[in-house]
Amino acid sequence: MMEKFKEWYEKRHDYAQEWKNKTGGKVVGYFCTYVPEEILYAAGVLPVRILGSHEPQDVTEPHIFGMYCPFCRDCLAQGLKGKYDYLDGIMIAQSCLHIRQTYTSWKIHKPVDFSYYLPMPNNVQSKRSLPYLKGELEVFKKAVEEWTGKTITDDDLNKGIEIMNTSRALTRKLYDLRKESNPPLSGLEAMYAVVASQMVDKKDYNETLQELLEKLPRRQLENSSKIRLMILGSEDDDTEFVEMVESLGAIFVVDDHCTGSRYFWNEVSSNGNPLEAIAARYVERVPCPSKDWPERTRIEHIKKLAQDWKVQGAVVIQQKFCDPHELDIPAIIKSLKEEGIPAQFLEFDVTVPIGQFKTRVEAFLEMLGEEDLY
Amino acid sequence: MRVSGIDCGAKFVKALILDDDKILAKGSAASGFDQKASAQEALGKALKEAGFSMEELEHITATGTGKEEAAFAQTTVTEVGANAKAMSALHPSVRTVIDVGAEEGRAIRIDDKGKVVDFAINEKCAAGAGTFTETMARALEIKVEEIGPLSLKSQKAVPMNAQCAVFAESEVVSLIHAKHSKEDIARAVHDAIADRIASLSRKIGLEKDVALVGGVARNVGFVDSLKRDLQLDLLIPEDPEYSCALGAAYVALEKAKGG
Repeated sequence: MMEKFKEWYEKRHDYAQEWKNKTGGKVVGYFCTYVPEEILYAAGVLPVRILGSHEPQDVTEPHIFGMYCPFCRDCLAQGLKGKYDYLDGIMIAQSCLHIRQTYTSWKIHKPVDFSYYLPMPNNVQSKRSLPYLKGELEVFKKAVEEWTGKTITDDDLNKGIEIMNTSRALTRKLYDLRKESNPPLSGLEAMYAVVASQMVDKKDYNETLQELLEKLPRRQLENSSKIRLMILGSEDDDTEFVEMVESLGAIFVVDDHCTGSRYFWNEVSSNGNPLEAIAARYVERVPCPSKDWPERTRIEHIKKLAQDWKVQGAVVIQQKFCDPHELDIPAIIKSLKEEGIPAQFLEFDVTVPIGQFKTRVEAFLEMLGEEDLY
Repeated sequence: MRVSGIDCGAKFVKALILDDDKILAKGSAASGFDQKASAQEALGKALKEAGFSMEELEHITATGTGKEEAAFAQTTVTEVGANAKAMSALHPSVRTVIDVGAEEGRAIRIDDKGKVVDFAINEKCAAGAGTFTETMARALEIKVEEIGPLSLKSQKAVPMNAQCAVFAESEVVSLIHAKHSKEDIARAVHDAIADRIASLSRKIGLEKDVALVGGVARNVGFVDSLKRDLQLDLLIPEDPEYSCALGAAYVALEKAKGG
């Protein structure tokens, strides 16, 4: 039922190439979810998120410092190894400097037709960030117009907003189903869906998900007494880890990752000036930890997720050397514990030591389910 | 009621036989490439000492990294759960259990009912575990059993940064070149492991009483360093390397009684 998402995720390059052949359109790879895909959709350009492959590599050492996160190295390796040669453009919005280094290095060593650095403000809590971002989006829109040779009208922008919002609303419905006491989908399936949504044309994604949402409520997964977990932290599309945890009698019911819920949580309110509405969405969205200051707003959001999805325990992961998350994690773990939600911290790399992590997850689940066990 | 707990560790398999609360026998075997055979061997030794056959055991519970390999066990429990079980039964006042084995260091916090409240396990690094002392003993050209007593004779503390077992070996070599005594280097090694284990324990919030288990608890040099670092007394059970096996045996006992 949900195999399509897995197929898109695993054959992301085939999909993008076929899309190009079919439509004759341009594809832009992006490195961070602060990139306003609405404007690319308005221009008829397909945005695809660049993610790593979870395979060891040896090509990035000359370009990225060893203590930058493994995710940014894995992404760069994909470019250097020619996996994304079909891209017509690459872009990033300012979030953290590790992934920005990937963008910069890619631009130098794998030149593409169009490359764009969008200076997304860091202090999104400042009142001045909205007018600033609106101004930057105007400049970005012009750059896309010049590149594609096509004027982007307000009508185009509204269509871009609509397709993105539909996708967000549908994915939210999928997540809402996970609130049930026996969710009709596993955390692994949800991960495939939300990550695939970042790799394929939203039109295809929305159609497939719409169809699925009609059937899914009637689906029953066996073993209804699973321990309900949430997973949160750095970028994460480690399907092998999720699969391992869910094979031990647990189920992930919700997440807070930029590859997961943070990607689609907030919609663009579609009244008024479209560029301003888009800018407001990115300023007000659930933030990346690199932008969540001076106030830490994400903690309340995470606590609410844990409550609404009836979470029993949290797996907190961090890409090794991911500084923004390193800064947040102690505060998040403390707050979760105060809510009576134990948390287990794990450090991720390009590949995870699945055997060692299994030992730790088993002990964590045993601790969570102790009353039933003895 | 006769039951057994078997702990398939990274270096050794330990088996323990209980008759109700009474420990009847223990047996261990090196964890070879064939973990199944090692598990059989350890249990076989314990059974021989106890003087009966595997069929006479009501229940067997396995724990440890290789617990799936003990195919004859009916149930399993994690090392964290087993340690909590064993220490809360032996010393009900214990709130923190520190377990240092060959390749893993663990700190476990338990409540007054023996329930696990929190735990932490070392990241993929052997610098806070027993294998580290083996490597260091080799660099000092002494037997691993000698490194503990040797370090107690140390006259002064020499700082050493044990971030990685392999790099620490080269650091030991530089200490040798700097003409530090063997005794002082031995202590530096133990201080370094104690540092790692102490920070792991502080991460989960160290609470008294503290028990130290696992094979490395037999190393007097390490125990001395850890006590100095934590500034507390440590409860060390008899045969500390059998703590997990004992906990697993208690779980087996509960299962056999229909718990």
